[in-house]
Amino acid sequence: MLFQIAWRNIWRNASRSLVVISSIIIGIWAGIFILSFSWGLYKNNINESVYRQLSHIQIHHPTFGYEKDSKFTIQNTDAILKQFQSDGRIASVSARVIATGMITSPTTASGVNIYGIHPPSEITQIALNQSIKKGTYFESGKDNAILIGEKLAKKLKIKLKSKVVLTFTNVNTDIVSAAFRVGGIYRSKNSSLDEVNVYVPQNHLRELLELKPSESNEIAILIKDELQLEAIKNDCKTLVSNAKIEDWKELSPELSLIIESFNLYTYIISGLILLALTFGIINTMLMSVLERIRELGMLMAIGLNKRKIFIMIMLETMYLTVLGCPIGLLFGWLTVSVLGKIGINISMFSEGLASYGFSSMIYPELDQEKYIIIVTMCLVTAILSAIYPAYKALQLNPSEAIRKI
Amino acid sequence: MAKTIIDAHNVSKTFNPKTVPVHAVQNVHLHIEEGEFIALVGPSGSGKSTLLNMMGGLDEPTAGTVFIDGVEITKLSENKLIDFRLHNIGFVFQSFNLIPVLTAKENVGFVLQLQHMSKKEREKRVLNLLKEVGLEDKINSKPGELSGGQQQRVAVARALASKPKIILADEPTANLDSKAAANLLDIMAKLNKEEKITFLFSTHDQRVIKKARRVITLVDGKIDSDVEQSPT
Repeated sequence: MLFQIAWRNIWRNASRSLVVISSIIIGIWAGIFILSFSWGLYKNNINESVYRQLSHIQIHHPTFGYEKDSKFTIQNTDAILKQFQSDGRIASVSARVIATGMITSPTTASGVNIYGIHPPSEITQIALNQSIKKGTYFESGKDNAILIGEKLAKKLKIKLKSKVVLTFTNVNTDIVSAAFRVGGIYRSKNSSLDEVNVYVPQNHLRELLELKPSESNEIAILIKDELQLEAIKNDCKTLVSNAKIEDWKELSPELSLIIESFNLYTYIISGLILLALTFGIINTMLMSVLERIRELGMLMAIGLNKRKIFIMIMLETMYLTVLGCPIGLLFGWLTVSVLGKIGINISMFSEGLASYGFSSMIYPELDQEKYIIIVTMCLVTAILSAIYPAYKALQLNPSEAIRKI
Repeated sequence: MAKTIIDAHNVSKTFNPKTVPVHAVQNVHLHIEEGEFIALVGPSGSGKSTLLNMMGGLDEPTAGTVFIDGVEITKLSENKLIDFRLHNIGFVFQSFNLIPVLTAKENVGFVLQLQHMSKKEREKRVLNLLKEVGLEDKINSKPGELSGGQQQRVAVARALASKPKIILADEPTANLDSKAAANLLDIMAKLNKEEKITFLFSTHDQRVIKKARRVITLVDGKIDSDVEQSPT
């Protein structure tokens, strides 16, 4: 009977109930949208970092990471690469030779990371060819071709086919200078890296560094399924002895930090939305209780105990929430599904975002677990906000309530 | 000898005792036996409703004791009191008597449901009660669809539903026209006579007073007179 009364009570003032239901719908929808948008944003950031820069796993000599000294190498990389290439779980693998040095143009100089790459490998590894804005991706086949970032080109005031000189120390700590000609200018999604990373043919850099033919400084691995990451990392340890094996989270702790802070912002924003919802529900339910004081007094007089009065008021709020929740979920899910496919263009902010490694298209995405969290948070909010009006109803004294006009 | 239903000793009620004390009821002794039909009369503010509320356990006396059918209700905890009211006392108020979202049938059945009566038994009793108050054709009407008199008759049927020891009615005819008031009174008198249900009602209404067999007059919270009469 209480269920029936509570259900009918919420339709006594249909427009008011619809306002509460609407606010629950909007609350859930907004929660889902914000979470999915943020998740889309950092997923984009992770993907940009993993697929355009870091790869899932990197292998270095244990001391290479601290000094970035080219002499700390991994031996027999050709054999290792073959092993990885035959592993079905691995999407792509490439070896790199790395040096740090100076790039000098006729007008100025700048510090750079020099990557000696095998051009075909980096097409699958970091899709470097797709970032070329001017010139070609090592199509000339010349040893002295260099790819530089657009930002660096601007800084050095150089153009395509300009001559630059790279200066660095080889493994015997001799200073080496070599002339290169700009074969291509690239622009990646991470403009801060565009200023410091340059790419040259691997064999030429290896010779300049006086490394052996099968020595490399870095092996980067892209895997097919993220869930296999730990297993593959463990296999790497047996395959490459005396090496430091790191995944993308270890390689880029700032990425984890960004994700964590986003998570925090997300919960804060969702919390604020729910807080507004709480006050909305409290206000409505309180109004509904206060205008029924005489009726509640009568119910107590004829034998409805306070526990049941409390349950009745709670049920009324629960009904409103239960009505609003699925609709909000449906709208949220539809929004995420549609925008997840077509994407949200945030190009008006892209310049700022690009320096943090974000691209201008965001594809909202949300896993099931988050939907459950939002619905649970909403239900908890509704229950909590019903408690005060229900408690207020318990404070009533039947005779006083009946006397009230 | 008839059974005692209400036995009130030295009952007083003071509102705002610490600020501006209002002595609504003062040292009232009341003894009511089973089957009585009593009108509680007096000018506005004389304490009729307060006394009625205390007899029904809706209000706690500042002093004194109230026994209903031998149970000292002034000593019962709040929840026990609610339960006691459910099983022993029927109420009819001046207005806001019914649950607006329930039909006449559901309103009457509500207290029976609180008493956990089976659905079959409940339906039978509810229909009988609504028949007794002449509303068998309005069982599915909600309070908003009934006239004031019809609503009060549903309230009487509900008050009777739990087979209470006593029905307390606070100015039940105050909002009714003469015809509806007479009709309601006839029903109450008939129930009193045929089913020996004790009625105590506060009223200003001369028509109601005339129907009563005992008239208790309150003035300034005190019993001014308590007389038996032959109803007309």
